[in-house]
Amino acid sequence: MRKSPERVEILAAEYVLGSLKGPARLRFEGWMMESGRVRQEVWFWEQQLGALSTAAPAETPPPRVWSDIQRRLWPEQATTTLPDSAKAGWFWPGWSLMATAAAVLFAVLLLQQPSPDVERPLLAGAIIKADIGDPLWLLSETGRGNLLKLRSVAAGSAESGKDYELWVVPEDGEPLSLGVIPAGDTHQVALSGEAQSSLTRSRTLAISLEPAGGSPTGSPTGPILHVTRLYEL
Amino acid sequence: MASVEVNQDELMRLLRSVARKDRQAFQQLYSQVAARMFGLCVKLANHRELAEEAMQESFIQIWHHAGEYHRDRGAPLAWMMTIARYRTLDLMRARKVRQTAGDEHLEQVEDKRGGPLDDSLRTSGSAQLTGCLDELSDVQRDSILLAYYRGFTHDELSETLNSPVGTVKSWIRRGLMVLKRCLER
Repeated sequence: MRKSPERVEILAAEYVLGSLKGPARLRFEGWMMESGRVRQEVWFWEQQLGALSTAAPAETPPPRVWSDIQRRLWPEQATTTLPDSAKAGWFWPGWSLMATAAAVLFAVLLLQQPSPDVERPLLAGAIIKADIGDPLWLLSETGRGNLLKLRSVAAGSAESGKDYELWVVPEDGEPLSLGVIPAGDTHQVALSGEAQSSLTRSRTLAISLEPAGGSPTGSPTGPILHVTRLYEL
Repeated sequence: MASVEVNQDELMRLLRSVARKDRQAFQQLYSQVAARMFGLCVKLANHRELAEEAMQESFIQIWHHAGEYHRDRGAPLAWMMTIARYRTLDLMRARKVRQTAGDEHLEQVEDKRGGPLDDSLRTSGSAQLTGCLDELSDVQRDSILLAYYRGFTHDELSETLNSPVGTVKSWIRRGLMVLKRCLER
């Protein structure tokens, strides 16, 4: 294909926009390597369209992003970067250690994002892989509100005098209780605005074993049975 | 809301230090641009996990290639945002993340030609490109902005805007050329 000025002009624009794909994109990258004129054309569009990038609302990334960058660039320093991630939540390391390995929690969760014009349901799910194949609970959103429906699948009842309690694990600070959940039944949990926004950010839920009726302190007091991250599907 | 004010001279100084493998400067650079960059990645990918991974990839690339930055690549922030955008698009393609474009959106686009692109982006985008976007037709502008901010493919644009792929391609190409003629004036 000839590198006519017109063709370079349009392909450079489409390259930067992202609409140039597949073999055509690779071929154009070859042109960029060969020709300063082609690179100049690309830089023109990167500058012009780059101005659009500042219009997207800023959002602070979770602390783990920086920790992971450090870990990947300087693995020898991995131990010194741990305090950064530990700052994100006091209980995280403990929770991970305490979470029993021989358990599977499968959660499917629909988060309704507030939007003035269009309701855009966000389908999310999570899997913790372990030794047994059956999910213990299934989670799904019901209706248009912030209502989670929790269906027990293979979870056994808590031992006598104990209850399972569901928590949102936020990026920072204390976990938020979503209340006691039964085994062997269907149960609905109403998400407060705070719980919903925490969950949207952290994508993490946990289940702990608490005295009957739930934690007396408002924070987890018993062993953490499951910690699960949610993934958009 | 995160602190989003950035000083390009300061970024330039930090980039030079990063090119000399100064880790402290790299951390400062991260703290200055992370929020803006993450905002763009999230908007583009509509997927937080992927946006986080794109952030990682972008900063690793910035660490290794800071020395290749030069003024012809635009302001330092624009250069880094461009890297973040490319890495996000790469990951989106690799994972074939599909944009949600359900029937609700189609109806809305048909009614108002508004669609999934919020007005704030459309207007602030216009201001940034010194009004040149205003010279485009509505469909040309929306196609370009949806491709830019949401990484929509031709097929996804065709579905969202309820028009044949060939038509969408031509909107984008003609729109980009109108934009260029205007920007060159």
